[in-house]
Amino acid sequence: MTRLWWRPLALGLAAAAFFAGAPLAQTMPLAERIKLCGACHGEDGNSRTPNIPSLAGQPEFFLVNQLFLFREGVRKVPGMSELTAGLKDDDLVALAKHFAALEAKPSKEAIDPASAKRGAALAEPMRCASCHLPSLTGQEQMPRLAKQRIDYLIHSMTQFRDDARSGADTQMSNVLIGVSDDDIAALAHYASSR
Amino acid sequence: MSMTSRISALLAVAVTATALAFASGELHAQQRKGFSPIDRTDQKKSKQDLNLKGHPTPPLATPLEKIPVDKLRLPAGFKAEIWSHGHPGARTMVIGSKGTIFMGSRLIGRVYAITDRDGKREVKVLLQGLTQPNGLVFRDGSLYVFAINQVFRFDNIEDRLDNLGAPVELTKAFNLPDTLHHNWKYVAFGPDGKMYVQVGANCNICEINPGTHGQIRRYNADGTGMEILARGVRNTVGFDWHPQTGELWFTDNGRDWAGNEGPEDELNVIRKGQEGAFYGFPYCHANGIPDPDIRIPNACAGVTLPAATTGPHSAGLGIKFYTGTMFPKEYQNVAFIARHGSWNREQKFGYDVVIARTDGGKVTIEPFMTGLLDEKANQFFGRPSYLLQMPDGSLLVSDETNGAIYRISYAAPGATKK
Repeated sequence: MTRLWWRPLALGLAAAAFFAGAPLAQTMPLAERIKLCGACHGEDGNSRTPNIPSLAGQPEFFLVNQLFLFREGVRKVPGMSELTAGLKDDDLVALAKHFAALEAKPSKEAIDPASAKRGAALAEPMRCASCHLPSLTGQEQMPRLAKQRIDYLIHSMTQFRDDARSGADTQMSNVLIGVSDDDIAALAHYASSR
Repeated sequence: MSMTSRISALLAVAVTATALAFASGELHAQQRKGFSPIDRTDQKKSKQDLNLKGHPTPPLATPLEKIPVDKLRLPAGFKAEIWSHGHPGARTMVIGSKGTIFMGSRLIGRVYAITDRDGKREVKVLLQGLTQPNGLVFRDGSLYVFAINQVFRFDNIEDRLDNLGAPVELTKAFNLPDTLHHNWKYVAFGPDGKMYVQVGANCNICEINPGTHGQIRRYNADGTGMEILARGVRNTVGFDWHPQTGELWFTDNGRDWAGNEGPEDELNVIRKGQEGAFYGFPYCHANGIPDPDIRIPNACAGVTLPAATTGPHSAGLGIKFYTGTMFPKEYQNVAFIARHGSWNREQKFGYDVVIARTDGGKVTIEPFMTGLLDEKANQFFGRPSYLLQMPDGSLLVSDETNGAIYRISYAAPGATKK
């Protein structure tokens, strides 16, 4: 945990020092920017950082959309708006293409098989697959859930349920209304296991 | 940005990565208010393709050469052209007294100002980062912006487009429910000078709290004096007043996952003396169809049925009674309705502008602007959202998918003037 904590910090500091003389967002070459993303989201786009989502293998449309929402401050996650400020539309597309093309790998968190089984049963009547596909790999504006970090899935679903997630289609808050914490955890274990 | 502040911004990012770890635990402690019971949708019973899903709204603008203006079909004498473009998420439009067009959006959170300079349109992102600022209204030099969770008034806005200044916040005065679903706003001033605002049902189909949801309300412009004018309204996001009768007509989107053929969307009217009437949600839909998932005896008793139905899953949004002089006489006081187009229907439907003739006994719905749907390929090219009548009598139509506005004008066939 401690080491994970320092890696992004060190990289962030290095990047800040390196680019201190110029407006950061507009001049950083794509490769450097990708490295900066990777500090938290994993160099290969598969996050090993608690509560930080994996980006590898996400639908390109979804990634462009989220980057746009961060840049404009619609979706509010501390740091993300600062990191995307000043990016041009083409930059958003380039970043999205990069992470969409990477291979999604399973999270290293422990998946509880009983929980995952219960989650599968819950997911069926909730029709998660109708938008996120039966493989839960996502499509267009709907993210990949398969192999996503469990802690992030719980965080995200809880935000939807509690109408605390800005910048998302409100359909998710409709789907999750009244779903208990236990059920959200089971859904997360199931989705991550796919 | 100074060097130190840039470094501290990056530090904040790094620290946040771990700070998020406890955020999810805190959310559980919060109990939500105004929360309706569970959605009662039974998708399997609908016998529809269970993989139907909402269409994405691209956050980036369609390049000019790809905007499908050439596909638009109109009655003889009418012409469509691109009025403006490069404003993704194009939805509601209102015009200021000095000619600025203000445009609201949903997911992308922007409000645009579009100005006309020497026949060319200039697009400016006026506001960004809002939660679905679909509700815009202009009165006495002020622009009112209704996001789902915030209400602002920008005074003297057309003189301050480059330097807006702080708005007057009216969120508390209006005290609207903060539930997200079906709660993006449509707002308009009525002939009585009151401000009309809707609150949708926060589900597809559920027992809503009738005290807070499924309503059209009216307020004084400062947020005081709230009255409920219509109840049991699932999701209206467009209304207008008949120019002669002064009655309020509103579109309403029918429920999903009850079959491809319906219940159809509605065109409703609040007749004089029927203020506060009940329009049926969640028990009774369209022309008197009891809900298949929430069953009560005599589901349609006491329900004000629609003046007309507007097609299954067609998603009628904006409505505007035409009062200009450019279009032929037979369009006077006719309601134009923008149909955004279906998602919860296997064969796509809508994606057009229709007209409703409301005078006389029976309301009729006729096509007006078509061409954005290829029925054979089951593919759409754009999604008409809202309508604005311009001072010269032309009609603007916003296209949310392409981030564009089309201008529809009329010249009598055979006339040579441009």
